[in-house]
Amino acid sequence: MKVNAGAPATDAAIAEQDLQAQERAEDQLIMHLERDQFVAETSRAVPRAALSTRTTAALWALRVFVVLVSLMVIYTFFEQLH
Amino acid sequence: MSTQATAATGLREPQLTDEDRARSHDRSRVHHARKHKRRWHLMWLLVGPGILAMLGENDGPSMIAYASDGAQYGLGFFVPFIPILFAMAYVCQEMCMRVGAVTHRGYGELVLQRYGRVWGWFGAGDLTLTNLVTLIAEFVAIRVGLAYFHLGSGVAVVLGLALVVFTLSGGRYWRWERIVLGLAAFNGLFLLAAILVKPDVGSIAGSFDFTPFPGGGFNTLLLLLASTIGATVTPWMIFFQQSASADKGMTPSDVAHGRYDTALGAVLAAIFGIGALVAGAALLPHHGSGIQGFAGAGFPEALKHVAGGAAGTVFALGLIEAGAVAILTISASTAYAAGECIGASHSFNSSPRGAAVFYAANIGVALLAAVVILIPGAPLLSIALNANVLATVLLPVSLVLMVMLANDKGLMGPWANKRSTNAIGIAVIAFVGICGAAYGIDSFLQSVHLIGS
Repeated sequence: MKVNAGAPATDAAIAEQDLQAQERAEDQLIMHLERDQFVAETSRAVPRAALSTRTTAALWALRVFVVLVSLMVIYTFFEQLH
Repeated sequence: MSTQATAATGLREPQLTDEDRARSHDRSRVHHARKHKRRWHLMWLLVGPGILAMLGENDGPSMIAYASDGAQYGLGFFVPFIPILFAMAYVCQEMCMRVGAVTHRGYGELVLQRYGRVWGWFGAGDLTLTNLVTLIAEFVAIRVGLAYFHLGSGVAVVLGLALVVFTLSGGRYWRWERIVLGLAAFNGLFLLAAILVKPDVGSIAGSFDFTPFPGGGFNTLLLLLASTIGATVTPWMIFFQQSASADKGMTPSDVAHGRYDTALGAVLAAIFGIGALVAGAALLPHHGSGIQGFAGAGFPEALKHVAGGAAGTVFALGLIEAGAVAILTISASTAYAAGECIGASHSFNSSPRGAAVFYAANIGVALLAAVVILIPGAPLLSIALNANVLATVLLPVSLVLMVMLANDKGLMGPWANKRSTNAIGIAVIAFVGICGAAYGIDSFLQSVHLIGS
């Protein structure tokens, strides 16, 4: 029976080549994304902005106004149903 | 900062997820097209979120609203008003695209992280409410279209849900986007319907002077304004375009193409919207005001009697398309918002196992709306009519936070809003806010009999 003594060495070389090709492909993929596009980066929260008291008050005023008008629209909707 | 620069500065590369790999694959094609100066191929690769947001908003209730306007009031006022509204929509949507491309984050997560959980959850709450109501209206619109072919609500529900599941099945943003873009192209059926009713071209051209102004009472005018605005700019569009731009992998270098995409979407949506208006106006001399747009086969059936079977069939198919595309885009916007606010994975590039909240919200909200239209005796007509108005009333807060994000130099750097964009943005918010509030308050005072109708 013939034994191919070089086979394990060849297999290891092929496996190494595959690994290198895989790493190259991975590097290629990484190069097409900007650093802050990675899921690992976008999963980090952006820092909280410091809103001035005036801005916060204006946002709350708008919010309350919009909720009130929405309630009026919803009330009118149910009124019209009857 | 590109990863080539990262390597140069010696920073450690982040670990790649499946979502990164899928996005990187899409980006490699963009890089290739840009490198080889293949302009049209680059355009083809980068269009999507803008067209989908605009044509998604040419949804079932909107097209029925345009056709109703045409049938009741004719072409005057609305032919020039629709392009103005889409110009307003362009201003808002361009900001969404730009913020998404620069920050790579969706609207919901940015508002939540930057301005606090209260504002993030308020926005998500508004979105869920308006999306649910609008989705019910989309199923109703599909039902109206199918009723023309003697098919019932059950078929509308199966069709809508099957489309949602089918488009989600690929696990890739690119696949989802291309399928929905392919479907959205059939929004052009409304233009075909307009051609089939053989309109007087002179009267269309002549209506660009805003005359004749729609008659009727003050409240009717406010309702027309509020519902037509709600047919053009809505909270879901803001959530959708920013999140989709980020999910697509757009970067600041793609902002110019993002603008072309949004502008093309606005132009197409305005043309197809006017198409529905012109088709509806064919019913004006035939007592069009008596037609209930959401009842039975409504408009398609009426068009068949006035302009022939082809016009009716095309309009019915258009309604099915408009409802179907909107179900896909509105469900997607809900899914993005759910994932972003909970802090879970929110991408079409993730597998259902990796982004369970995203996929569950996408299917769940469509399923919930589908269940409502199967409830016997549910006030579907009223829900459909009020969907656009509710969206208009709730829109100003989302728009204000959008303008704040687009002005945030810490996030946007050199891509922050210019003064002219802010001036137009604030004018749009004021106009939308005043119209929505005026209708809401006037209708309420009438219903509690504090003022006469």
